[in-house]
Amino acid sequence: MSEFSNWVRKWWPGLIPLAALWVAAAWTGTVPMEQHLTARAAAALKESVLDKTQIEVSGRDVRLSADAFSEQGRRTAVDQVASVPGVRMVLDQTQLIAEVTPYVWSIGRDVVHVTLGGNAPLPAIKTRLLEAARSAANGTEIVDQMSLARGAPVRFDSAALLLIDQIAKLKDGRISLANTKVTLEGSAREIGGREAIAAALKNLPEGYTVEKNALYAPPYLFQVNKDPVASTLTLTGYVPDNAAHAAIVAAIGRKFVGEKIEDKLKASAGAPQGFLAAATLALSGLSRLSTGTLTIQDRDIKLAGDVLYPGASALIAEDLAAKLPQGWKQKAELTVKPVAAPVNATICQQLLTGLLAKGTIRFETGKAVIDLDSAGLLDRLIEAVLRCPSSQIEIAGHTDSNGEKDANLALSIRRAQSVADYFMKAGIPKERITAVGFGSERPVASNDTEEGRAQNRRIEFVVR
Amino acid sequence: MSYLVAFNWGWIAGAAALGFATGWVSPISRVRSLTRMGLRIAFAAIVALLALSLWRVLPGRPGYWLDLGLVMFGAYLAGCVVGSWLRYVLLLRPGRPRDEEG
Repeated sequence: MSEFSNWVRKWWPGLIPLAALWVAAAWTGTVPMEQHLTARAAAALKESVLDKTQIEVSGRDVRLSADAFSEQGRRTAVDQVASVPGVRMVLDQTQLIAEVTPYVWSIGRDVVHVTLGGNAPLPAIKTRLLEAARSAANGTEIVDQMSLARGAPVRFDSAALLLIDQIAKLKDGRISLANTKVTLEGSAREIGGREAIAAALKNLPEGYTVEKNALYAPPYLFQVNKDPVASTLTLTGYVPDNAAHAAIVAAIGRKFVGEKIEDKLKASAGAPQGFLAAATLALSGLSRLSTGTLTIQDRDIKLAGDVLYPGASALIAEDLAAKLPQGWKQKAELTVKPVAAPVNATICQQLLTGLLAKGTIRFETGKAVIDLDSAGLLDRLIEAVLRCPSSQIEIAGHTDSNGEKDANLALSIRRAQSVADYFMKAGIPKERITAVGFGSERPVASNDTEEGRAQNRRIEFVVR
Repeated sequence: MSYLVAFNWGWIAGAAALGFATGWVSPISRVRSLTRMGLRIAFAAIVALLALSLWRVLPGRPGYWLDLGLVMFGAYLAGCVVGSWLRYVLLLRPGRPRDEEG
């Protein structure tokens, strides 16, 4: 044993080459080993949800810095690195990403960019939102200004994806989310875009609400042009739906005398409230013009053209102003059509008879109140009467045979008087007009059919 | 530890071989022997370094180099023991014919 102890005391000379060997091992092996451990640690973290991950290996110690999205995720990541074979210890420099309140997210659009801003809860969701924006923006450049933060409300991603889908309908503006409240600003690309977006947002996940919809849509335009030369009415622009379209065409049929209709109307949502009532009223105004254009832009009505006689401008403007739905504005830019050459009584009679062949003066059922739809025809009759200033005009009222004879006679007189009053209001001297009524005495057709009775309910003019 | 050995097995084997050679020649070596005090100091130094390693006092690379050094030193010592013992068994055991000694 003491012999062995003597040998041990002579083992020291080998320490010198051993030291050299050790230096050589450290010199050549340290960096490759660190690289190897870095790769293994990175592989271990492959499944972890982290942001800004940095792995630095010094010797066999790993410094792990990363942003984690939950405490559990953070701990798991550290444990995974610590369990990599060869790792001596982990210097944990991970941290939880900030939790923000309110949780804000937005998508905005200008001419050249679609910008995503605010917060996203996870890198994967951020990527998904960016991809969705890319496909919704249709080639427009995407700018990502989102940062990661905790505190997103539940179903944040579905809400954000739905909002991203709406960006294609915007010309410019911003859709933002603050917690579960949605705010919309900017302009829609098309008429009805505002309504289309509002309808789509009804599918927002439960708990999400639209707090403010301040989107502007392009003006809702409806235009009718009256061309007396081609005797054509050209309809362009939009109507709310097919029912409104039919109602407008029917109103034109009642109000205008013999014009052809060139109908280029399209149906679109986004009509202002009271559109149909306002359009019908404005069409009455247009029917009283010789030539003109009716333009409805949102809630502004503009009527421009030539009236048939000097007093008509004021009457038309007055009628429009009195009956327009609330919130609507009207502007009449009317001039008077030059007076046509005077004609003698015979021609005057022909003109009046010709006009009455195209249309009938209508009254409210059983009353002597002239229907507003007849204003256009009446203005044309007045224009004709003004061309024969020296002639006397007899206005004759007729009824069908329904009802009592005396009542019919009285009604026919009152109706003829209503027309006479209308003429006088238009500026035709009182002395030139006589109103007479014949009741059902002078039928022009059989009173046995509805068609015949309709022909018998009439106003006739006799020029002397 | 096993990773460290697996990664540096060549160097550790070298240290063991060096130890074996040192152990083999030590019975006939004429170098000066360490004094008892020197041996104690060396032992104390090794214990201190082992403690440093086990408590992971040195961080990063120095820590790794210390571990590597200790493992290589261990392999060297083991090599020395085997070398000396083998020499004793093969050549120096009493009763062995003298003419067989190399």
